[in-house]
Amino acid sequence: MDTFDELNKIFCKVFYDDDIKISPETTANDIDGWDSLSHLNLVVAVEKNFGIKFKDEEIDKWKTVGEMYNSLLLLIQQKK
Amino acid sequence: MSEFKIINNQHNIAYYCTRHQCLTGNAAKTAFIWIDHTGKREVFTFEQLEKESNRYANVLSGMGIEKGDIVFTFLPKLPEQFFAFLGILKIQAVAGTLFSNFGEEALYDRLSDCGARVVITKKSLLKKILRALPRLEKLEFIFVIDEEENNEKVIGLPKLLAGASETFTITQTNPETPSVLHYTSGSTGKPKGVQHIHKSIHTQSQTTQEVLCLNENDLYWCTADQGWVTGTSYGIIGPWSLGISQLHYGGAYHAETWMKLIEEEKVTKWYTAPTALRMLMRENKTLFEKFSLKHLEHIFSVGEPLNPEINIWAKKVLGKEIYDTWFQTETGSIMISNRPGIEIKSGSMGKPVDDIHAEIISDTGEICSSSETGHLCLKTSWDSMFVDYLNNSKVYREKFKNGYYYSGDLAFKDEEGYLYFIGRNDDVINTAGHLISPFEIESVLLEIPEIAESAVIGAPDDILYEKVVAYIRLKDFHSWTDDLELRIRIFLSNRLSTIATPKDIKIIEEIPKNKSGKIMRRVLKAMYKGEDPGDISTLEI
Repeated sequence: MDTFDELNKIFCKVFYDDDIKISPETTANDIDGWDSLSHLNLVVAVEKNFGIKFKDEEIDKWKTVGEMYNSLLLLIQQKK
Repeated sequence: MSEFKIINNQHNIAYYCTRHQCLTGNAAKTAFIWIDHTGKREVFTFEQLEKESNRYANVLSGMGIEKGDIVFTFLPKLPEQFFAFLGILKIQAVAGTLFSNFGEEALYDRLSDCGARVVITKKSLLKKILRALPRLEKLEFIFVIDEEENNEKVIGLPKLLAGASETFTITQTNPETPSVLHYTSGSTGKPKGVQHIHKSIHTQSQTTQEVLCLNENDLYWCTADQGWVTGTSYGIIGPWSLGISQLHYGGAYHAETWMKLIEEEKVTKWYTAPTALRMLMRENKTLFEKFSLKHLEHIFSVGEPLNPEINIWAKKVLGKEIYDTWFQTETGSIMISNRPGIEIKSGSMGKPVDDIHAEIISDTGEICSSSETGHLCLKTSWDSMFVDYLNNSKVYREKFKNGYYYSGDLAFKDEEGYLYFIGRNDDVINTAGHLISPFEIESVLLEIPEIAESAVIGAPDDILYEKVVAYIRLKDFHSWTDDLELRIRIFLSNRLSTIATPKDIKIIEEIPKNKSGKIMRRVLKAMYKGEDPGDISTLEI
């Protein structure tokens, strides 16, 4: 499973919906229940799954799933 | 602008929000500008509001839904939310609204308690209802606004609406006819259904003029979700009963977008919440310099007490004062407020509106003297006062003593009649303007196999006013892990709602209780804040 698919799986788990299909353009307005509070659940779930830690200042700045994914890829690379 | 008046003994709320506007020269006037989350803009006139809500009324009555039946909307902010709400009221069914972030347990509690016959929702939210459906015996139809297919209980609305007539005659509606149903949390037990009646339109309309000062040339923006009383009383009924044009925005909070909307749409009156204002306060000042708010005359706030710092910031950065307003789901409309024409006193929630008499009453039932803290009570009655807690009349009656409604808030009054909020006299948590019952969260926490006991409190928070904090005792042989914490958060978000999810979870060896087994939240609150818990003589050790 590639990283994007794995990220999709986390979205399904956090938002209790197996039918979620994210794309780089997906925003919080496209997923029901994605608000500032569930965003924290999502961040923690992603961090835990990939063993990384996002910087506090970037968490509030992502506007799309693509931006979150890019931050994630960068941290995974740094880990290696 | 002329005052709201009842015509021909017709009291139906939806009549005044739609048909009456068309008959009095407002048919072509903008009822609302709709801007969706992508920025797509659409204008709906009062004539369209009338026709679209008529279609909903015809579809519902065609399916056998009748006066007194309970019909809920479970939708985010969308034009269909408004059409459906008004359509439900037109057939004299009871219109309930559900916050679109509710999880299956929150839905079950509300829909099962009132025995709702219908829920109107959208495809992406349908799953949450379907999970609760096997336990919802009285739920007959789930109408889906963006689904074409039908099955036994799930019915696609687009074809039905397209085939429905856009005319509907509202039958004479008695002022005492049940109208709107909102659920609110108490400190014990499940959420309670707060029932209003059609005559509430009088006070909702009156306060829209008296407090929000709306007039026919205004463009008014109420940011509240229709799942809460502000969203229906002041996002639908008050303004539209007076033919006021509104802005409705379907996106989430985003400082720059909000400022842009106020500037571009020329919003003149803005009704929002302290949490949103506190979030705006965190933004760099340069953001506000990019936008001109020259059309914005007044800002109003509701939901939680407005800290004096917000007003200082608003005067400095936005060049406006913010008028705090106070009301509850139960009161149905604004009861106490700061408003244009009355001097704002720092930290005060203002003075009672016309015809409302507020008193501070002591535990022994006496009127408190100036500056003495007591129970904030309102002399009964007023037109938007709730008429019952559904299936819970005993608790309803307990809210009234000696001709006063006891709000559950503690406050004091100064010599000039200004009221100051002190806190709640129960354990209800006010987080970002949403009232949350600790009991509801504790019950769901106990469904998690590792948890033996739980206690939930509200603790002060810079942005949310109060945050939810959960104390948990784990069962033997279980230990606290990051994984368990995440599971708890996700579970609560999806079973109840994200707003009910604790910001902080603490592990404790023993939940403090008194000798009769009641959780001593006072002790936990003091513990959380690092303060002295005071008298603990009744603590069970």
